[in-house]
Amino acid sequence: MRVAYEDRFHELEPLLAHVEKPSRYIDHEWGAIRKDDADYRCCLVYPDVYEVGLPNQGLAILYQCANAVPGVACERAYVPWIDMADAMRAAGVPLLSLEGAAPLASFDLVGFQIPHEMAATNYLEALDLAGIPLHADERGEGDPIVIGGGPSVFNPEPLAAFFDAFLIGEGEEAIAEICREHRRLRDAGASRLEVLRGLARLRGVYVPSLYRLSHEGPCTPSGYAVPRVGEDVPPVVYKRVVEDFGGTDALTQSVVPFAQLVHDRLSVEVLRGCARGCRFCQAGITYRPVRERTPDQIVSAVSRGLSATGYDEVSLTSLSTTDHSCCRAILRRLNRRLEDTGISVSIPSQRLDSFGVDMALEVAGEKKGGLTFAPEAGSQRMRDIINKNVTEEDLDRAARAAYLEGWNRMKLYFMMGLPGETDDDVVAIANLADHVLELGREVVSKARRGSLSVSISVSVFIPKPHTPFQWCAQLDYEDVKRRQKLLLESVRNRAVRVHCHDASTSLVEAVLSRMGREAAGLIEGAWRRGQRFDAWTEQFNLDNWIAAGEELGLDLYGIAHEPFDLDALLPWDHVSPGSSKGFMQREYRRALAGETTPDCTRTSCTGCGVCPTLGVRNVLVGERV
Amino acid sequence: MTRKAKGSGNSNTAEKTAKQLRSAPRPAIEQTLFRLRVRYVKQGRLAYLGHLEVIHSIERAIRRAGLPYAVSQGFSPHMRVGYTSALPVGTSSTCEWFDVFLTALVPGPEALERLVRASAPDLRPVQAGYVGVRDPALTALITRVGYRIDLSCGMSLEELKASMAAVSELAEIPYERSGKQKVLDLAKTLGSWELEPAGEGAFHLVLHTRADNEGSLRPEILLARLDRELRGSTDAIASTGIQDLESIPVYRVERIYQRGMGEHGATVDPL
Repeated sequence: MRVAYEDRFHELEPLLAHVEKPSRYIDHEWGAIRKDDADYRCCLVYPDVYEVGLPNQGLAILYQCANAVPGVACERAYVPWIDMADAMRAAGVPLLSLEGAAPLASFDLVGFQIPHEMAATNYLEALDLAGIPLHADERGEGDPIVIGGGPSVFNPEPLAAFFDAFLIGEGEEAIAEICREHRRLRDAGASRLEVLRGLARLRGVYVPSLYRLSHEGPCTPSGYAVPRVGEDVPPVVYKRVVEDFGGTDALTQSVVPFAQLVHDRLSVEVLRGCARGCRFCQAGITYRPVRERTPDQIVSAVSRGLSATGYDEVSLTSLSTTDHSCCRAILRRLNRRLEDTGISVSIPSQRLDSFGVDMALEVAGEKKGGLTFAPEAGSQRMRDIINKNVTEEDLDRAARAAYLEGWNRMKLYFMMGLPGETDDDVVAIANLADHVLELGREVVSKARRGSLSVSISVSVFIPKPHTPFQWCAQLDYEDVKRRQKLLLESVRNRAVRVHCHDASTSLVEAVLSRMGREAAGLIEGAWRRGQRFDAWTEQFNLDNWIAAGEELGLDLYGIAHEPFDLDALLPWDHVSPGSSKGFMQREYRRALAGETTPDCTRTSCTGCGVCPTLGVRNVLVGERV
Repeated sequence: MTRKAKGSGNSNTAEKTAKQLRSAPRPAIEQTLFRLRVRYVKQGRLAYLGHLEVIHSIERAIRRAGLPYAVSQGFSPHMRVGYTSALPVGTSSTCEWFDVFLTALVPGPEALERLVRASAPDLRPVQAGYVGVRDPALTALITRVGYRIDLSCGMSLEELKASMAAVSELAEIPYERSGKQKVLDLAKTLGSWELEPAGEGAFHLVLHTRADNEGSLRPEILLARLDRELRGSTDAIASTGIQDLESIPVYRVERIYQRGMGEHGATVDPL
């Protein structure tokens, strides 16, 4: 029996007085969509608190797309912060959607965003609060179909036990197909298994229970998934790509929160995909091909979006906004239009060359905070290995231009533990940071010298599925800590501030990136030991993860630090962003040889395989510089 | 978690470098401004919004309404708008006010209608009109504030009245806020009060209070003190927004008027 779809806000309301930030739970935001007469209901869930989840562009897009289907209502839910979750459990209040304040368990479909590996325990937290059985194979006819999708779905295996289905790739069209097909089957009286088989026939949908594990032939300890005998499902599920990205509405946001968010602004996606080919980067593969929107479309969406939402900031989002072939023209047109309104434009990251500084200048006002660049590695040798096609001269020019234009604070992103890295390469990070600071002291006036600072943020390399480094091990845990110390000791200037990412979190992230279905017990064990909101540093506790692993005989350090054979079948080989394994292997070998590979939006095809495999192509609206 | 600084990328900063591609700066002219004063409600679920959340929501509504709001000059340009004093989380109101400076005159009824269409119903503007650009700010103008508290309590009307009378005789109520010892100056801020029955175990308590730059009365603190009085307790009071009170298990606070003092000692509405 399905739980009734009904408004239960009155049960939640008495709790609001006693939790932090009650506005997380009250709904009634401007632009929220209510469809009271719908005959099919889905609820999209972001696996973190409201203010982290609301700005998520993927869910905003799906919210619009699903609500555009006649008869389908799409609502939202977020994971209550621990104070509220505990209060709800104590009061017996289940997890409710925002719009209808209805129990999650009353929906036909519950769709989780899968933003990154560290959200793993929060799916369990949400399902448990919702009263939905944690394991897909324990769910009955009355339970919702639980589906996952998003950027981190390209190794779905660690989560396979908890999800009925995954959507691999872009959801604009697929979400409508999934809702319609599920409704059709439901109305025809189909069983849960028949529904799942039906969904598995849709392009891009992966139903893990219709696959079994095999350990035959060369493979990793996790084995690999193959279709169950008798199931008519594809051996490889290719990602969905929206038919005509340029034809979709660039304005995808309608809900304007009351709560103050991490990114409290209008976001307009100006382009999708990045072909720069950094070899550690998963998004650089999984978001291909590259597709740009036209300047007209972008300017119009910004205008409509600002007047519909009332935001005072608009962010032009993408993996690399300054790569848009019309970036300069778009920024000029927007600046003209927004003159005297107090509304500002922002771009999420700066390209590491003088063009990047030019563009930063276009969006900066009188107030110049910090400028952020991502050289990713300290030495040219390492930058060649990772295919970050940036030279020290590029960085010099960019930094020099930024100082001359008035910026005093520079922020640099690096990665540590990259394949082939030596202690010298770590020292090179410190040297580069010192160099950038000293360069500033040379070019700025004496009066400004004291205000200059460089801060560097150094994350730990995590080998991600579907990248040329997917076979690599993570740097040994103790070595990470040693190199972090080496880095701190190698910085000469006090005005260079070093922030190193937590080695423990990175270890678990690597484990969850590389494991297969056997990770389910690990995730559940960690959650049962109290882990939730692992993406929040103060909530993360490695001991609980280690203990959960030990109970299952899993050595997390060993899992993170063991490289895979180049010819082994990998746990994620049956879901594909369209790239060919031959390309990945070639890129891996080129990396070891220090050979770089160009960007196919600026030169010719580099043979990654995405276009021919998925029947797509890059769409540029101008010449890239 | 970091946020990009607000207000960057604005136009009145165009005079920068040769590389700057924006239009040339315009000569500074004294702009003619209009000051629109708006009364709005805060009710229902939105009573749980904090003051900053309300402010942000109103500024967004003003932009959605397409009103020609004025923007401050300087490093971090922002909308020129002023508010009445903060309403605590959980407190509703029939009489919140803001002043927004406009660069063009939009007839009052039209401005109100546009604001209503751009606002959440529970933060609905209900009255709008123009006041002098150089009139005192709302926070300086308003010195008389009324609250109505709906409360449920197991005591009789007489018991409650007696306790309230005892509390109202106090000169001050000490309490703690964010680890600091504070004092609510009751003698100065509490004018008068009325208590009426409102059904079985339910009462209306109306507080007529005085406010100025030095202080105002937070109804929660008074209620917490009343709770101590009712059960003969000397427990310390902490200001934590909505209070957990033993003898007053349920209460709701609503601001019912905000007025200033007129020339002849009579109170006047801000509009």
